[in-house]
Amino acid sequence: MNVALILVILLALLLTGTPISIALGMTVLTFLALFSSFSIETVDIVSQRLFTGLESFAIMAVPFFVLSGTFLTEGGIARRIIRFALALVGWMRGGLAIAAILACTFFATISGSSPATVVAIGSIMLPAMIRHGYPKRFAVGVITTSGSLGILIPPSIVMIIYAVSTSESAGKLFIAGIVPGILLAGVLMLVTYVTARRKNFPTLPRASGREIWVSFKEAFWGLMLVVIVMGGIYGGVFTPTEAAAVSAVYAFIAAVFIYRGLTWRQVPKVLLSAANTSAMLLYIITNAILFSFLLTSEQIPQALSQWVIGQQLSPWMFLIAVNVALLVAGQFMEPSSIILILAPLLVPIAKNLGIDPIHLGVIMTVNMEIGMIHPPVGLNLFVASHIAKMGLTEVSIACLPWVFVLLAYLILITYVPAVSLWLPNLLY
Amino acid sequence: MIRRVNDVLDHLEEWLIAGFMAAATLVIFAAVLHRQSAALPWLWNYTSALNFSWAQELCIYLFIWMAKFGAAYGVRTGIHIGVDVLVNAVRPAMRRVLVVIALSLGAFFTGTIAVMGVRWVAFIHGTGQTSPDLEWPMWIIYLCIPLGSSLMCYRFLQVLTRFVRSGQLPEHTLGSAEEDPA
Repeated sequence: MNVALILVILLALLLTGTPISIALGMTVLTFLALFSSFSIETVDIVSQRLFTGLESFAIMAVPFFVLSGTFLTEGGIARRIIRFALALVGWMRGGLAIAAILACTFFATISGSSPATVVAIGSIMLPAMIRHGYPKRFAVGVITTSGSLGILIPPSIVMIIYAVSTSESAGKLFIAGIVPGILLAGVLMLVTYVTARRKNFPTLPRASGREIWVSFKEAFWGLMLVVIVMGGIYGGVFTPTEAAAVSAVYAFIAAVFIYRGLTWRQVPKVLLSAANTSAMLLYIITNAILFSFLLTSEQIPQALSQWVIGQQLSPWMFLIAVNVALLVAGQFMEPSSIILILAPLLVPIAKNLGIDPIHLGVIMTVNMEIGMIHPPVGLNLFVASHIAKMGLTEVSIACLPWVFVLLAYLILITYVPAVSLWLPNLLY
Repeated sequence: MIRRVNDVLDHLEEWLIAGFMAAATLVIFAAVLHRQSAALPWLWNYTSALNFSWAQELCIYLFIWMAKFGAAYGVRTGIHIGVDVLVNAVRPAMRRVLVVIALSLGAFFTGTIAVMGVRWVAFIHGTGQTSPDLEWPMWIIYLCIPLGSSLMCYRFLQVLTRFVRSGQLPEHTLGSAEEDPA
């Protein structure tokens, strides 16, 4: 009863177009005002949660990774990575598109955000592909979809939020994302290659060994970041949050001193733009935490988990249900709020059914990737529509075939746990 | 006069959040360097006297302050995304009504939080709590809730008046296209 009511309030608020964060917070206030007599104690708990909800060092990896991503995007690092990718695979049929996917893969290893990856690679590769005669829809679809690798390949902001809300190890989850990430990049390249063969997309001249070496040397300092972050976390040198801070400083040095893509005078603008994005994320996180506090105080997680156990679901049926629920939720909310609200509900049930929480984390991340290229709140779509100067609807249509590719891939990830768990189990 | 005040407010907001971002990064970077310097005996002679145990706490507070004021800045830049299916599907007159409702909800929510925040700060002030590592008075740290939320409320009202007057909404913009790499 209460669940239905909470959902109705939330849905009504969301449909007015009010920001998701505000809708989550307003739902909590409305519910408290209507049904729990809104005593002084609850008011105080809410005010306290607004602060203490964020009082976690682990969450602070989010703003640090956003900052590092902004430096990488603005600092001329993406351009070097693209050159290197072009030298490697540009000669293939549909080489420009395959290089775009490869560049997104490389960029994803140093950035933790999908929209940032779309901006960094897409703003260069999209106009280039269109100029070389690729159909605009195909080009937009490739970029928007492969940009979503940003959250699957570590580091990943979405994975950090999952780790924080379920007390799992962010480092282990990062490691678990490596094989699925590379596999997905491979799948996307294969689909692109087959399409390119069929539709006879252009090729580029083959790069000489020297050219490959030169472009690698140019990209080297950018790509080193993945060694610092992953090596640092896995080697126990620092925590994921510290790794994120170090990566922000490194990206700053690379952008301003090594690649000179940014001048000193532009640095405050980068800081401001990173602060803008991360404050938006942290504001959503605060209100999502408030919302899950409401769910918990109404004992909804317990009720849900008892209901699921009562249904005697087998693990594979549970996973179908999880995927459907996440895909539906992905229609209304953006990844951080979905994970913050649903992950704490799902993990206890999954553990009960013998599903590894790390595996569930990878499943949720792939789900979020689909949500990002799917209307109405797909973040990648917003970004791509801006870069491509195309309407949101048209970009969504361009991505539709790719949604099916990702859905097929999601089935693979869901039912072959070894893809996600083999590497972390080997290392931890 | 009001325009001058708004100008000052705009700049203050921008400098504050960019400054918090930079400060938090430098603090954690320094703390990591400090810990790693223990591996170099000649350096540790000098650095062991320093104590960075407060770094994490300071970083958290800086980012929470950044989040509260940055959320207000975000209203001005239009970065807070909502679900626009219904808003885009309905007739223009209806759309106007929905946008006004959405913005008023934003102002109402942030205004309520600001009032609740004032109550909370007053309560914490009474308890005399201090933070665990830095030992700063907690009520000053909690001030970011009423201050940030009132500023956010003000921003929502600003956007609302501009929308009612001119029908324009702030739109978030991103990087633009670059040269051909191929």
